[in-house]
Amino acid sequence: MNAVKKLIKAREFTSFLFLAVLFLAVGLINPAFLSLENISACFNSSVVYTLIAVGMAFAIFIGEIDVSVGSTMGLSAAVAGTMIQNHSNWLLAFAVGILIGVVVGLINGWGVAVMKIPSLIFTLGTNGILRGLMYLQVGVEQVNSLPKEFKDMSSRTLLGNFTVYYCCAVLLTVCIHLLLTRTRRGRYFIAVGDNAGGAELVGIPATRTKVTAYLICGVLSAAAGILFASRIGIVTSLSGNGYEMKAVAACVLGGISLSGGVGSVIGAGIGAVIMASISYLLVFMGFSSNYDNAITGVILITIVVADALMQYRAAVNNRHARLAARTSAALGGKGAAGQ
Amino acid sequence: MKDRSLKPNASKTLRRLWNGSSFRWNLFLLALITAECVVFGVANSKFLSLPRIFASANGDLTFWYVSVFVTFVMITGGIDIQSCSIVGLTSIIIGVAWQDFGMNIWVASLLAVAVSVACGALSGFFVAYCGVQAMVVTLGGSFLYSGLGLLVSTLSSTEAYKGISGFPDSFKALTKTKVFDLIPLQMILFLLLLTAAYLLLHRSKYGRKVFLVGVNPAAAEYSGINSRWISMSTYILSGLAAGITGVVMTSQLGTAKSDLGGNFTMTIITACVLGGTLSTGGKGSAIGTALAAISITLLRFGMPLCFGVNKQYLDIPIGVLLVVVVVGRAVFSNPSVIAWAGRLRKKTTKAGS
Repeated sequence: MNAVKKLIKAREFTSFLFLAVLFLAVGLINPAFLSLENISACFNSSVVYTLIAVGMAFAIFIGEIDVSVGSTMGLSAAVAGTMIQNHSNWLLAFAVGILIGVVVGLINGWGVAVMKIPSLIFTLGTNGILRGLMYLQVGVEQVNSLPKEFKDMSSRTLLGNFTVYYCCAVLLTVCIHLLLTRTRRGRYFIAVGDNAGGAELVGIPATRTKVTAYLICGVLSAAAGILFASRIGIVTSLSGNGYEMKAVAACVLGGISLSGGVGSVIGAGIGAVIMASISYLLVFMGFSSNYDNAITGVILITIVVADALMQYRAAVNNRHARLAARTSAALGGKGAAGQ
Repeated sequence: MKDRSLKPNASKTLRRLWNGSSFRWNLFLLALITAECVVFGVANSKFLSLPRIFASANGDLTFWYVSVFVTFVMITGGIDIQSCSIVGLTSIIIGVAWQDFGMNIWVASLLAVAVSVACGALSGFFVAYCGVQAMVVTLGGSFLYSGLGLLVSTLSSTEAYKGISGFPDSFKALTKTKVFDLIPLQMILFLLLLTAAYLLLHRSKYGRKVFLVGVNPAAAEYSGINSRWISMSTYILSGLAAGITGVVMTSQLGTAKSDLGGNFTMTIITACVLGGTLSTGGKGSAIGTALAAISITLLRFGMPLCFGVNKQYLDIPIGVLLVVVVVGRAVFSNPSVIAWAGRLRKKTTKAGS
């Protein structure tokens, strides 16, 4: 019973409810949508977003942001894609792709945590550099004839209609969630994001935790890039452009607060599914894809404004309760002294 | 090595300028622009021709106009990443109102600018009065307004990707006229906007309030400033700037499209930061942002012309510039580095004497 209560109170539960209501509403309008194929397609198409959003969630947990994830993803997709296209060893290509993520993550972590540069600005700079490097890479060699086996990997299914990729992504997200909530080091991230100074004072290595968060963010975006290459089968110089904003939106939809220290990676995963399904749902509701951006914007603004207003009311109520308790205690104390 | 603040016997205005918070940084930016001119000029003498520079600057006007006013937003501690979407929305509204609703082109432009102000006000309201993080609201705004732009374009009888063209000559003349046969009217307009921004930010009560809200909103509130309204008004200003940009860009290109704003978001933020604006708020200058925007444009123009760099790779030098500048500033404002420089200075003076 306690566990159920805890689940309902969790912030990501609201997002999950929102997703369920969204699916049901679309199902009411167009019953053809409510089939296993369609719903699993929504989940499967979110795999790239899921990985990036989980990575971005780490950067947001520690109270920072990383806007270079889209370019990291694109660069890793371009480099790994080129290697696979030229028949090098797949494992080697994956390793090189991930290595790009490691390097980018370490550089971002160094700039933000060690040099104490505002994260938005520093990652904006690395974003530009990475995007340029990606143009260099794609400009030299087009990635458009990836081997068939590599592309087919993305359509292989495991449990019913769910692809291997999505199952792996879910498994990874759950593992990360458990690590974050059940282990000592995992909880460092939330602690640093909630109160960096306080965390430092109680002996948590804040700088190292921040660098680790950026490292994880870089690695996950690089991994997302490899999955992107496999799913889409073609990497252009624009691949991954704008994904950073979609990842932030997914995190916010999943109940993660941009001020840091609040939320979970499960929420990020759910937010990613919402982001990925919007264009799919619109088709079933009979709208053209022109509505895609406008509806994403409306949903995003509505959720954050509602969340902010609810938090404000909760804070006011808390203050009233505290004041009331204090006055009654003071009055009680006076009464005792008078007797 | 001398003390960095000027001697008291220097003239008063000069001293005030030199000791001003952003003056030294602006000098550095001027030096950067000069260095760019020298390097690119030596590499290719074609670079040093004003008409060419103006022509290249016309393509970058979006971020010139907008970034000066986004500086206001960043000084209050917010951020605005929706301007490019508003530029596109303004442009397509002009086109549709003129072509499909038969409005006068100038009325259509006024309507579009009014809409852009409303867009800025909406986001500003959510940020200032609902207390949502500026980044999230303007991120949502960028989706929403570009989406609205697309929807408006479906009202038109013209296909969205073609864009609406064939505007009257009087509207096109807005950007085809050249003062003294050299300076395009857009540049004059930019100077006017910049002067307005400078007066508003550095020479008016309103500007002082903007700075105070950025430094400490609670203190501003206690000293009787309506900090929420001040912070909302900066978003309105940046919306207005985006609207004006939309009108000018539509006139310049002769077509109204919903994606006219392009992807200048990152460049706008780069210009603000390079111009000395603190992203945490409380510091910045309109002149600095303008100088930074000019130096970015020179870089974007000079690299392809003089060193044959493909235009697509231009993100690299701009990214490097941004990273080098912010890392450099972080290093030089680090107390231990300042102390080390002080010791070095003492040592050299001792050795000299």
